[in-house]
Amino acid sequence: MATSFKFKPLTISILLLFLNNVIASSASGSSSTTMHTNNWAILVCTSRFWFNYRHMANTLSLYRTVKRLGIPDERIILMLADDMACNARNKYPAQVFNNENHRLNLYGDNVEVDYRGYEVTVENFLRILTGRHETAVPRSKRLLSDEGSHILLYMTGHGGDEFLKFQDSEELQSHDLADAVKQMKEKRRFKELLIMVDTCQAATLFSQLQSPGVLAIGSSKKGENSYSHHLDSDVGVSVVDRFTFYTLAFFERLNMYDNASLSSLFNSYNPHTLMSTAYYRTDLYQRRLEEVPVTNFFGSAMETIHTDSPYRAFSERYYIKSKTEMPSDQSGWGNRRTLEGSDVLEELIDPKLNAKQVGCPFTHTWNTILGRMEKIAQIDNLVNCGVALMFPIVALSSWLSH
Amino acid sequence: MAEVAAVVKPKPRPIIRIGLFLISYSFLVSIICCVAGVLALLLLPVLAKNTYISENALMPGSASPMLSSADASDGHMFLNKIMSQNSISINTGIEIPEMIGKHIIESGGEVNYHQFQPISDNFHPLQFFLGPDVGIVQENYSCTSYGINTVGIVRAPRGDGKEAIVIVTPYNSVKTTTSEALSLGVAYSVFSLLSRVSWLAKDIIWLAADSRHGEHAAVAAWLRDYYALSRADLEKSLDMCGPSSVLGLELTSVKTNGESNGFRRAGTMAAALVIKVADSSTGFEKDGLKIYAEASNGQMPNLDLINIVNYLAVHGQGLQVRVEKIWSLLDSWWLYSLGELQELLGKVAKSLNPGWKFGIPASDYVEGCATLANSLYNQALGVPTGPHGAFRDFQVDSITLEFSPRFSSSQRVLFLLHVGRLVEGVIRSVNNLLEKFHQSFFLYLLTSPSRFVSVGIYMIAFALLIAPLPLVAAALFSDASKSKSGKDEASLEPSQPGESIPTFTTWNWIRTAKTVLMVHLWGAIVTIIPYFLCRFPNSSPIASLLMWIASSLVWLFFICAASGSLSFSRASQLQIREWTLLKAVTVTAAFIGLCLMSVINYATAQIGALLLVPMCLMAVPLRIDLTAKTTKALLRGACNILLGFVGFPPTAFIMLKGALDSSDRIRLDDFWNWTESLRAWNSATYIYICMVHLPCWVLCIRILLHRR
Repeated sequence: MATSFKFKPLTISILLLFLNNVIASSASGSSSTTMHTNNWAILVCTSRFWFNYRHMANTLSLYRTVKRLGIPDERIILMLADDMACNARNKYPAQVFNNENHRLNLYGDNVEVDYRGYEVTVENFLRILTGRHETAVPRSKRLLSDEGSHILLYMTGHGGDEFLKFQDSEELQSHDLADAVKQMKEKRRFKELLIMVDTCQAATLFSQLQSPGVLAIGSSKKGENSYSHHLDSDVGVSVVDRFTFYTLAFFERLNMYDNASLSSLFNSYNPHTLMSTAYYRTDLYQRRLEEVPVTNFFGSAMETIHTDSPYRAFSERYYIKSKTEMPSDQSGWGNRRTLEGSDVLEELIDPKLNAKQVGCPFTHTWNTILGRMEKIAQIDNLVNCGVALMFPIVALSSWLSH
Repeated sequence: MAEVAAVVKPKPRPIIRIGLFLISYSFLVSIICCVAGVLALLLLPVLAKNTYISENALMPGSASPMLSSADASDGHMFLNKIMSQNSISINTGIEIPEMIGKHIIESGGEVNYHQFQPISDNFHPLQFFLGPDVGIVQENYSCTSYGINTVGIVRAPRGDGKEAIVIVTPYNSVKTTTSEALSLGVAYSVFSLLSRVSWLAKDIIWLAADSRHGEHAAVAAWLRDYYALSRADLEKSLDMCGPSSVLGLELTSVKTNGESNGFRRAGTMAAALVIKVADSSTGFEKDGLKIYAEASNGQMPNLDLINIVNYLAVHGQGLQVRVEKIWSLLDSWWLYSLGELQELLGKVAKSLNPGWKFGIPASDYVEGCATLANSLYNQALGVPTGPHGAFRDFQVDSITLEFSPRFSSSQRVLFLLHVGRLVEGVIRSVNNLLEKFHQSFFLYLLTSPSRFVSVGIYMIAFALLIAPLPLVAAALFSDASKSKSGKDEASLEPSQPGESIPTFTTWNWIRTAKTVLMVHLWGAIVTIIPYFLCRFPNSSPIASLLMWIASSLVWLFFICAASGSLSFSRASQLQIREWTLLKAVTVTAAFIGLCLMSVINYATAQIGALLLVPMCLMAVPLRIDLTAKTTKALLRGACNILLGFVGFPPTAFIMLKGALDSSDRIRLDDFWNWTESLRAWNSATYIYICMVHLPCWVLCIRILLHRR
């Protein structure tokens, strides 16, 4: 797909050279006007070792939440740096809990871990974001997002000033993250991206971001630590972090049809209960947070547009013509192939029609006549008029011949 | 530009100028440094920091203890069985291991019996630093003299079997006391709990060590075989007489489980806990816990191990944790007044700037000093303070926990519950560990169970003490060469002073160095004399000591005669001020010896420096003082005599013992016994005393007696 996109725009752009201005304007504003197509989630736990149990529990809790709110498994990339469930120190083998009441086993039947153990590296993480994989990497391990995707990127682990530690051996720096996001933007791999980070000094991790459409929230400001919420004295470790705990508490009240906005989520964080200041960055984000439902990122809710008959458009001659051209027109137009309103389609058709008229004057007149002919509704009237017209003509011709 | 360079060039570099400056004021510098060094040592309790758990993975106390009162009462029943066993018959030391083994199998562990013979702790000079040797078993032991260690192992259900945690309970299988039975009860209740839990990542080894030949010997024998025993040894040990036939029952019962009856091993040991119960009860209202940590040659376990025990004992079980201290120091008035002085200084500093906080209450200070002194003394001795020392020889972190119950025997179950929960908590914490203990300190002195002085701070005191030695040596050397050059120019032929004089001085220096070297060689001979003295059986300590001293003196004269360097007549004839050079070289030798010793065992070097440094620095021929006849010179002479007296190892030992021990009975043969124990435990302190301290003392006496 990507390769075909690469070549065809050239030919299309020649074909539609006269429409230059139209394309340019639509391309520049693509992200803001592109339709939200699908939702992806990348959930990353970066730390190993038994005493970091809570990071895995954090990630698995988020995994459960986004799945519950409607993101399917094939659109979730789950990275877990260690396997706490099978750790010999785990009192409950093959189970992971995020609460000391042990009501909910997060490591139940339907957990698909895409990257596990030592596969969770900075390199693999950046490859997922930018989509530059080895050819052998299966589709389930890739982020196959497109220009209309909303992506949730959740990361937890041990962080510091402008870095996040991976596996106790490497670091993801804020510059790396910003660079990867910028590449994603240029490759049109997302429409909107929500980065959620639960580490110490989390706010520093997204300080270098520049790409539009990115919204970021972190559990703590620079110089602050993020703390765990509570200790499970049965398992013997802390099982969840405060920021994630209160995020989950917010989502537990929601179902996938709720309309709670992002701002209500962001305002739900109380610095006293969090013991750190949740910091969010909105300067790269165009929409107002009050108008964006959380399910835009944490679920799969999309704006649907009602159309009366989905197949009506195909009855029109010109629509078919334009339809065949659209998929190849990657740059400004391809995105409109789906579910746009019919009025938009007509907008789209009209310039094409005009183009053909300008191209041939004869057909233009003929078409006009035809058009007018079509406007005359009743054929009987036409015949009557014709008969009535015959008499004056006959009379005139006979008078002239005398 | 060129002119400036010409001006600057003759000036030596600043570091050399500082060095020259210090050398020229060496007298003042050495006084300041020595006083500062002693002060720094006395300030260590103030500079001590609170301990903290450095390793994240440990998480002590994060899990609630699972040991229930049912487990504790199981342990109590086990205890009662042992006590009844003990009272029934005149046992051969087999019944109790048998019973322990049966209980281990019932609770689901694996068991094996380890027979061992005590290894004669002869002094082998060649094997001194080679570490624990593979035992040389003596032939003439009867079968009943075998010790039988009972080893129970719980395999971690989902662990990889690569690591293990060891619980050790020493008990005397022939005559088991109540307190030993209590420690066995604690270990049993914990062991039976651990065989049921699902969170083990490391195997658990319970070693019920038969202490009829001494606690340390039993543990050391088991450890040696754990690390060294091969297949061939195994066959031999099975052929051994006696107990194996009696133990046939257990061996077959293990065999039915489809397992071999060979020496059982688990993984490498992450930590070891020696559990003991004191005979005497505490006078406090809480159960007490005393922590012993010093292993051979002043090695300490990782501080984190002490930290988790202290943390769990104080916060989890409400025990009163103590480390050993020197009680006689507690009511010394001078220490208390020093404590009050520093408290006052701290208050003044606080009033000046609220940010300065360094004073601690005077009583805390005195207690810290007493604990620190004991910590220093035990490390300097180089003799382990308990069976945990055997583990440290294999680089396993271990401590001895000595519980002292406050009961009334009716509260035994409660005691078992508390202690069992503490042991369980420590094991669960160590179980969480991912690697060896490495995060916290290995080099430290304790001033209380929760305060420590790290190596970075206590080295300051030592460095200050020995800093003047090289300065004084350099100053004396330059003095000697100066005076010599002046004398030579006057007396000998005045031919090119630039060539002949330096070679002459160098020659002299080497001659003196030869003297010092010979005396140190003599020290080495003195070191190995006891090895031959031990060959004479049935000699009393006092006789051995006298023999040792006499033969040492004979050797000294022999060496002096052979080298001719110590002959008094020649020295007085040739160079009148030869003692300056001799002192310079002696001081250098003391410096080198102390520095080497500080690497091996800091505490020995610290205490040695306190004795040796003033002695070496003060040493001046008595004749000079007597001829000068000023009060200052006389005072110096008196000081020299006093230091010379104190510096002699036996007198130093006896005075130290008299100062520290409250008991009045001090005999000369204690010194022989003391050195014998040092030799038996392979303590480097013995080497230090014989090869550094004694030669330096002899050389100082030589300087004092120098003829002018």
